[in-house]
Amino acid sequence: MPDDPRTSELGRFAEPALLVLVSLAGGPKHGYAIMTDVESFGATSIGPGTLYAVLARLERRGLIEPLGPQDRRRPYRLTMDGAAALEVQLREMGRFVRAAQARQPGAAT
Amino acid sequence: MESPMPRRLVRFLLAAYPRAYRDRYGAEMAAVLDERMASWRDLVDLARGALDARLDPQIEPPRVLAAAAAAPAAQPAPRAAALPARASYGVVADGPPIRELSRRTFMRRVLAAGVALLSLEFIGGTLAFTWPQVRSGLGGKFRLGTAADIVAIQPSWAAGWPYPYTSARLFLINVPAAKELALGHQASVPNPTADQLLALWRKCPHLGCQVPQLCDALKRFTCNCHQSTYNILGEKLKSGPASRGMDRFAVSIGNDDVIVVDSGRVTAGAPNLGPDHLTFSDPYPWDAACR
Repeated sequence: MPDDPRTSELGRFAEPALLVLVSLAGGPKHGYAIMTDVESFGATSIGPGTLYAVLARLERRGLIEPLGPQDRRRPYRLTMDGAAALEVQLREMGRFVRAAQARQPGAAT
Repeated sequence: MESPMPRRLVRFLLAAYPRAYRDRYGAEMAAVLDERMASWRDLVDLARGALDARLDPQIEPPRVLAAAAAAPAAQPAPRAAALPARASYGVVADGPPIRELSRRTFMRRVLAAGVALLSLEFIGGTLAFTWPQVRSGLGGKFRLGTAADIVAIQPSWAAGWPYPYTSARLFLINVPAAKELALGHQASVPNPTADQLLALWRKCPHLGCQVPQLCDALKRFTCNCHQSTYNILGEKLKSGPASRGMDRFAVSIGNDDVIVVDSGRVTAGAPNLGPDHLTFSDPYPWDAACR
């Protein structure tokens, strides 16, 4: 996951960025919907300040894009780049999870 | 949603974001905040977000917004519709956009300027109060001119008549000539040395009335208020309630021969101890006063 230039150097926003990408992978959402969605599928929550810091970064990197505003809200959707970056990250994480599980006691049997 | 976060608090925190950031995300963020319960965690999160935005503003160039505005899904809500129209944040480098000042902003700035001005005034006043008090006027140094200048202004000074210097409220006494004058002799001392000069403060040590010029008959000073009487050197004689002689300023002569009086250095007049303690006696009785 640190090798992908599209998601590297996100610092403390790396984890919430991943959560946002996953949320948007399920379809375009506006800010508040992303927050509730993350709370439903993740075991964590994202504050509004963090959310928009992440959205701004992802938008600048071209991983997400804004859609037309609906009332005061503005939905965002994953771009092709964003989907690719998410896929890379998830693959890396899957490899990590499998490697970790292989070291669990009794995993070899 | 029993208690949504107070709007004022939201606005306050959003105001901490950079303008470009606010223009781009402010409306959405306000919408999100309106849908959430008030919580301290959100406030802290917003504050950190604002700090982050100030340190590293991640603003998207306006092309995306323009594309978004052109998208068919766009429903022109008043505030959101205003966004693309002032999408000048992408060209901030060309100079800050000139924007109309809202009444609220204007009033706020006026208030802030007023408070700042008042604070400055207070601080300035405090500093000025601690400054050394007197730069000019009584308490400062006075350059009276050379002895020749004074003689030119008042030729009788060489003959012993006190030279009244009004702005410092003093009599400059030419001591050797003054003694001769009081004794009834003709004298001319046009160029006395510094230790032959006396700067008498014309403020009567009794109650502060201004002591007038010598009277012709006795060549003594008599205060008009209570008839306190002094000899020509300002020493207290019997007549009048003052308890000491006239006060004296320090006198010096500079390198340029100018007589300088330091009205900040005052020597109190000698106490009233009787005729034997005078340094100079004129020929008239000790208890005589001008009439």
